[in-house]
Amino acid sequence: MEKRGITRREFVKAGLLTAAAASLGAGVFKPTGLWAATPTIKGPIKLGYQAIMSGALAGYGEFHKMGVQMAVDELNADKGIAGAKVEVEFRDSTLKADEAIKNARYFVDSWGADFLGGIDSSGQALALAPVMAELDRILMVTHAATEKLTEQQVFKNGIKQVFRICTPTYQDGNAAAFVAKDLPAKTWATISPKYEYGYTCWNMFKETLGKLKKDASFTAESWAPFGTTDFRPHINTIMDAAPDGLYSTEWAGELITLVKQANQAGLFQKIKHVMFPVGAAMDALEGLGQEMPENIWISGRYFFLYPADNKNRAWVAAFKSRWNHFPAYVSETGYSTLFALKKAIEATGSKDTAKVIQALEGMEIDTPAGKRVFRKEDHQAMYDVPWGLTKTDAAYPFKVMGKQVMVRAKECFNRPPFEGAGTKPPF
Amino acid sequence: MRRYALPILACLLLAVLVLVGILGSRFTVYITMRVMILAIFALGYNLLLGRTGLLSFGHAAFYAGGSYGAALFFIHVHRHPVLCIAAGIVLAIVLSVIIGFFCVRHTEIYFAMLTLAFGMMVFSLIWNLREITGGDDGLVGIARAPISLWLISIPLAKPAHYYFLVLAFFLISVGLVYAIRQSPLGLILSGIRENDKRIEFAGISLKNYRLAAFVISGGFAGLAGALGTFLNSNTTPFSAHWTHSAEPVLVSLIGGIQTFLGPVAGSLIYIVLREIIERFTQNWMLWFGIILLIIIMGFRGGIVGSIAATLGFKSRPAAQNEGLPA
Amino acid sequence: MLQSIVHVCLAGLSIGMFIWLVASGLTLIFGVLKVLNFAHGTFYMLGAYLCYWILGRMGENFWLGLIIGPLVVCAVGFVIERFFLRHVYHLALPYQLLLTFAFVLIFDDAVKILWGAGSLGSPSVPGLSGSISILGRNFPTYSLFIIAVGPFVAIAMWAFLEKTWWGKIIRASSSDRDMAAALGARVPALFTAVFVIGTWLGALGGGLAVPYVGLLTPGMGEAIIIDAFVVAVIGGLGSLKGAFFGALIIGLLSSFGTRFIPTFDMFLTFILMAAVLLWRPQGFFGEAK
Repeated sequence: MEKRGITRREFVKAGLLTAAAASLGAGVFKPTGLWAATPTIKGPIKLGYQAIMSGALAGYGEFHKMGVQMAVDELNADKGIAGAKVEVEFRDSTLKADEAIKNARYFVDSWGADFLGGIDSSGQALALAPVMAELDRILMVTHAATEKLTEQQVFKNGIKQVFRICTPTYQDGNAAAFVAKDLPAKTWATISPKYEYGYTCWNMFKETLGKLKKDASFTAESWAPFGTTDFRPHINTIMDAAPDGLYSTEWAGELITLVKQANQAGLFQKIKHVMFPVGAAMDALEGLGQEMPENIWISGRYFFLYPADNKNRAWVAAFKSRWNHFPAYVSETGYSTLFALKKAIEATGSKDTAKVIQALEGMEIDTPAGKRVFRKEDHQAMYDVPWGLTKTDAAYPFKVMGKQVMVRAKECFNRPPFEGAGTKPPF
Repeated sequence: MRRYALPILACLLLAVLVLVGILGSRFTVYITMRVMILAIFALGYNLLLGRTGLLSFGHAAFYAGGSYGAALFFIHVHRHPVLCIAAGIVLAIVLSVIIGFFCVRHTEIYFAMLTLAFGMMVFSLIWNLREITGGDDGLVGIARAPISLWLISIPLAKPAHYYFLVLAFFLISVGLVYAIRQSPLGLILSGIRENDKRIEFAGISLKNYRLAAFVISGGFAGLAGALGTFLNSNTTPFSAHWTHSAEPVLVSLIGGIQTFLGPVAGSLIYIVLREIIERFTQNWMLWFGIILLIIIMGFRGGIVGSIAATLGFKSRPAAQNEGLPA
Repeated sequence: MLQSIVHVCLAGLSIGMFIWLVASGLTLIFGVLKVLNFAHGTFYMLGAYLCYWILGRMGENFWLGLIIGPLVVCAVGFVIERFFLRHVYHLALPYQLLLTFAFVLIFDDAVKILWGAGSLGSPSVPGLSGSISILGRNFPTYSLFIIAVGPFVAIAMWAFLEKTWWGKIIRASSSDRDMAAALGARVPALFTAVFVIGTWLGALGGGLAVPYVGLLTPGMGEAIIIDAFVVAVIGGLGSLKGAFFGALIIGLLSSFGTRFIPTFDMFLTFILMAAVLLWRPQGFFGEAK
C-alpha cells in the first residue's frame, strides 16, 4: 500500500516537472533569432545593459539608465546607427557575479543582444570577461574600475571582447599621488572600503607617491566594511594618528555618511589635506550639498563642468532639462558607450564583433567628457579627468571644483606590458 | 499500470533533460544547469530540513566550501574537473563536520542562529583571506578542462557539453538522496523529527544522527558549489552569505519540504519565475515577494505537496505542523 | 590617549544604543510571539523614509515626523500580523521566517518605487545638529542624545512590562500562552498589540537613524537586521535586559575593534555569537532553563 502511494505521488510530481520543463524548452526561452548572426547591418542594433538597480546603490542604476536612454533616443531621432534602429534593455545586476553572467547570457542568447554594457562591480567585470569571449560579444564596461580587467583579462589573457570607457583605478590611485606630491603634506592615512577596490587604490597611491616624494610616509589605515553607517570609530583612528593628509576612496552613500560624521567630529579642521578620488561623483556632491567642506581634493570618472567646451555644456544642459539632474559620471559613460559603438560600427559597416573590435581599437572619439582614445593593447579608454578643490558656486546648490589640477591619462595610467620597468608612473 | 508509473516517469524526465541538453538553446541549457545545481543544493539540504527538522541558515558556507575547494584545487593542484569537484566536496564535508559538531548540540531557533553565526564566519574569512581567496573579486578563470580517462578525453568547454556532467551529478544526487531517505538512516532521521525522545529512548544517539544528516547535506551543498564554480568559471564570497543560505530553504518550502521532489520543483519554480518576472519589470523583488506570499499563504505543503493533496493523493499530515520546530 | 579612549567609548555607546533601539522591538516580538521577524529591518527602513517624508510635508519639523512616521508603520505592522502572520503561527518556523522575508522583498522595492532609487539626504535636527567638545575633540550632540534615548526606552519598556496590567499579561503569555488564555487574556489580540509595539520600536529606530546615518537608501534595513539578530542572541532570545546589554557589548566591541584592529570586521562578533549560543544559550542575562 505504502509503495503504491509513493508511486502515485511520484507520478504527479514528475508529470508537473515534465510539463514545466517542456514549457521551459518551448515557450519561455525562444531560440536565438537568425539575424543575430547576420554580418550586415539589418534590423535593430540591440544593446543589453546591466547595472545595479536594487539595494543601497540602486541610485547608480538610475543614473546609468538616464545616460543610456538619452543616447538611444537621440540616435533613434536621427538615423540610428548606420540606419538601423537602436534598442536597449536594462537589467538589475544585483552586484553579484553569477547574476551578471546570467544577465549577459540572457541578453545574448535569449534577447539577441549585439552589444553589452554597464557593470558596476569589479568582481562582476572580472567574472564576465571569459563569458564575453565565449558569447563573442563586446562588453563596454562603464563603471567597474579594477585595473585587473584590462591588464590581465584583456591584455594578458587576450580577451578582446572587453572594453572600458570609464577611468580605472589609475585615476583614483596614481593621479591622486601626482596631486599629493605638490601638497605640503608628508604623512598620509586612509579610511577606505574594506574590499579590493579600496585596497588597490590605497596601494597604488602609496607606491606612486612614495616614488614621487621620497619623504612621504603612510601612518594609519582604517578599513570600513561594505555598508558601514557609522564611521566614528574610523574617524577616531585617523584623528589619533593625526596625519597631514587623508586619502579615502569611500564612495556613494558611504562617502556622504563619512563626510557628515567627519564634519561633526571636526576632522576637516584638524586635517588640512583631504582627497576623495570619487568625491566629484554627482550623488556625493548633491547628497552633501553645503555640508561638503571647502578645499577638499575631489575627482571622479567625469565631472560635469569639465571640459568647459560647447559640446559638454550643451550635453549637460540637455541632460538637465530632460532629467532635472546634473549628469553623474555613469550617465556620461553610459551615454558615450552608444556613440563609441556608433562610430565603430559605422566605420566598419558591420556589427560583427571581430570587425567592431578592430574598429574600436585605437579609435578616437569626441564625447562629453572630452576626447577618448581606446588604447589598442588593453582596450582602456584614455581620457583626462581633472582633480580639483571644492568651492562654493552660487550657480549650484552644491560644491563644485574650483582650482583644478590636470594629471593627463598618459602620465598616470599604467602602460602595457604592465610588468617590469617603465610600466608604472612616474615614467 | 501503477507499478510501472515510477520507472516510466523517471525515464520520461530523463528523456526531457537529455533532450534539453541536445536541442535546447544555449540559454535554456544554461538556465537548466542552474536549476539542477540549485536542486542538488536543495535536495541535500532538505534531508536536514524536511527529514530531520533542523533549519540551517548557514549551508551557503558549505556551498562556498565546495566552490572554493574546487577552484583552489584547480589553481594549485590539478585541472581535472572531476578531481576538482571531489576536492570541493571534501572541503565542504570537512567544514560541515567541524561546524556540525558544534551546531547539532542545539535544535530549533538556537540551531538556526548557530548555523547563521558559523556561516557568516566562513563568509568573513573568505572576504578577508585575500591572498588565498581573492577577496571580494573571488577567484576567476576556473576553466573547464576536458575530462581525460586514459585514452579518451571528453571536452567540457561548451555549455552543452558541461550540461551532461551536471546532469550526471544531478541524477546521481537524486538517486543518492532517494536511497538515503529509504535507508535505515533516513528512517531514523524522520523518527527524530517526529519524536526525538522516543528515538533517544531506543538507545540511538540523536547528536550523531543529526550530525550525519548535517554532513550529508553539507556534502551535497559542496557538490552544488563545485558545479556552480565550473558553470560560471569563478567563485564569489557572496556564495557564503546568509542570503544565499536562504535559497535552499526558500525552494524547499516552495516545492514542499515533506516531498522527495519538492526541492527540485521548487528550484525550477524559483529560477524560472524570477527569469520570467525580470522580463517584465526591473522591480523583480516586489513581484517575487508577492508571489512568495501567495505560495506561503495558499500552498502550505509547498507546490508539490499541495497539488498532490488536491488531487487526492495521500499526503502525510506531518507535512504542515508536526515535528518541526514551531 | 585618554581623549582617544573616551571618544572610542562614546562612539561605542552610541553605536550600541542604536542597535538596541532596533533590537528591542525584535526581542519583544520574539519573546512573546516566538517569531523571528526578518521584516524588522524593513520597519526600520519604512520608519526612516516616512519620518523623512512627513517632516518634508510638515514644515521641516523633525519631532513631528518622528511621532507620526512610526505610527504609520504601525499600521503596516498591524496588517502584516493580523492578515498574514497570524495564519502561520501554527506552521513550522521556516514558514514564518519566509513570510517575513517576503515582506522584506516587497517593501525594499516599494520604497524604491515611492521615493526613488537614489539615496536621499537627511535634514539636520534643530538644536542637536552641532557638536560639543569633550576633552578637546568634538563629539556630535545628536549621538549624545541617542546615548540618552536608549536607556530611556529601556526604562519605559521595563516600567510598562513590570508595572502595568497589560505588561503583566504580555509577560504571562510569553512564558505560557495556554495559561494566559485560560486566565482570560485575549491572546490573538495581545499578539497583534505586541507585534504593533515591536513594529513601532523598529520604525522609531529608523526615524532616529535619519540624522545619524545622514542618508536614506533602499535596502538600508538589511545591514541593521543582522546586527540586531546578533544582539538579540547574545542577550538571550526574548530577553529585553539581555538585548540592552548585548547591544552595549556589540557597540563597544565594534568601536574598540575598529580603533585597534585596522581590518576589524564582523568576524569577532559572530565568534561571540556562536560562543554565547554554545555555552550560554539563554544569553548573558537570560535565566537558565
